[in-house]
Amino acid sequence: MKTAPGVRAGMTGVGLRSVHYPDLLGRPSTAVDWFEAISENYMDSEGRPLEVLLKIREDYPVALHGVSLSVGGVEGPRSDYLRRLRRLADRVDPFLVSDHLCFTGAHASNVHDLLPLPYTEEAIVTVARNVAIAQDALGRRLALENVSSYLSYRESVMTEWEFLIAVARRADCRILLDVNNAYVSARNHGFAAEDYIDAVPAELVAQIHLGGYSDMGTFLFDTHSRAPTPPVWELYRRAVRRLPDAPTLIEWDADIPEWAGLEAQAVQARAIRREEHELKPA
Amino acid sequence: MSSSPLERLQRRFVRSVTFAADADLIAAVTGGGRLSAAEAIGVYRDAYPARLTEALGETYEACWRVLGDEEFFAAARDFIARAPSRSYNMSDYGEGFPEFLESRPHAEDAPFIGDLARLEWAFLRLFHTRAHEGLEPAALAAAAGSESILRLGAACVLLSLKHSVYGIWKRDRADDTPLEPTEWDGAQRLVLYKRGTNQIFARELSVPEHAALTALAQGRPLGAALDTAGLDEDGARELFAFAADARLIVAVVGG
Repeated sequence: MKTAPGVRAGMTGVGLRSVHYPDLLGRPSTAVDWFEAISENYMDSEGRPLEVLLKIREDYPVALHGVSLSVGGVEGPRSDYLRRLRRLADRVDPFLVSDHLCFTGAHASNVHDLLPLPYTEEAIVTVARNVAIAQDALGRRLALENVSSYLSYRESVMTEWEFLIAVARRADCRILLDVNNAYVSARNHGFAAEDYIDAVPAELVAQIHLGGYSDMGTFLFDTHSRAPTPPVWELYRRAVRRLPDAPTLIEWDADIPEWAGLEAQAVQARAIRREEHELKPA
Repeated sequence: MSSSPLERLQRRFVRSVTFAADADLIAAVTGGGRLSAAEAIGVYRDAYPARLTEALGETYEACWRVLGDEEFFAAARDFIARAPSRSYNMSDYGEGFPEFLESRPHAEDAPFIGDLARLEWAFLRLFHTRAHEGLEPAALAAAAGSESILRLGAACVLLSLKHSVYGIWKRDRADDTPLEPTEWDGAQRLVLYKRGTNQIFARELSVPEHAALTALAQGRPLGAALDTAGLDEDGARELFAFAADARLIVAVVGG
């Protein structure tokens, strides 16, 4: 593989989705700096998906983002999963490998959802143990993403961001800060999203995610089916003031727009970063 | 050994999502937004069958078009209730769905549905298989003798189906309108393969051709495979030419 364009501070990317393969395989000039690939879509494939990903990798930096590590699961990560993820990472040479701070069920019954953890010492110990196993198997540091949640546990003894920070420090991993998820959880659980964003130490943040939620009337649902809403963009603006170097990613998984529409969201994210760091008078 | 609080919580959560809301879990959580605890758990419980149904729909697209939304969703719901996902990869979900579809009442109207599903599952597996580098026809012809063992590449799937479903499956796959098959009578044998790239091809096989390729896949020598299949000389030549052109063979051993 030839050396792909390098990772740049503050670069803006989008999630790689198969509906956009035809747009991208012609190798057009795009406004995005990098792509994020869902690990599970490629780690078990030797066919066209992997072929496309490797082609994209020739032109762009790529991050791998998983949904099935189940880093909070009491059974620990599956060894077959880690083996295949390592193989994929060795092939793709991503600038970051990430997954979610959650559990996804049990080995014998995977519910394929990002189930929230209680914010307890036992959960921190469990995640730290699993991260150590995963980082050892992968030979690289992980980043863990905060998830949207629709319930909270009575046994939790700290805030979500205190839990996230404690996990990152104890596990020696980094944070993928999903601004939309912070907003969704804040609205659902009645805390200030600004407190969350302000509390996360800049040195722990490896990447930022932006996505769209759906307002279900009684709660906010993290659907990734639309553009970020104005309050999420405002929260993003607040985040990038403190995190000028973290790469930003637009995530869109359902009702995916045509390529130009997705690209426009990345351009908007870049414009906000520039407004905060390049265009503001000193 | 007693379980820890986190183990108990996770067990209850999985049970609440895949079966029914656990009373202890309801007592242990507070709903977000204006949701009650039970409603909040319901958000996750509702998402579970929706997600797996979507996975089944992607894999068994033609079956969905044949059965229609109502019957396909009902079949998916019942299958999901009895078949938990054991893989970390959701696109692996649905092995066993062909046999399940065959066992349902709609099989009287669409007796071919199990075979159609088997074809779709085989296509998915092949889609994710690396395209092998098959031998060039000249190299194959030069190396192969009656006692040779011809190794088929990994990107090659042989199917023997009781119904003729290939025509149903390939009908305008970009279209998602309901399919109303009329012709499915008679058994059908197929080889699905990649020819050096990730494009997938299919060819119908006669009974002897399928038997010969199956014997080769089992490691029988070329001569024995052709004899067993009962192919005459012209038939053997035609099959050999196809296998060579399709780059099905990756190695010749012995002979």
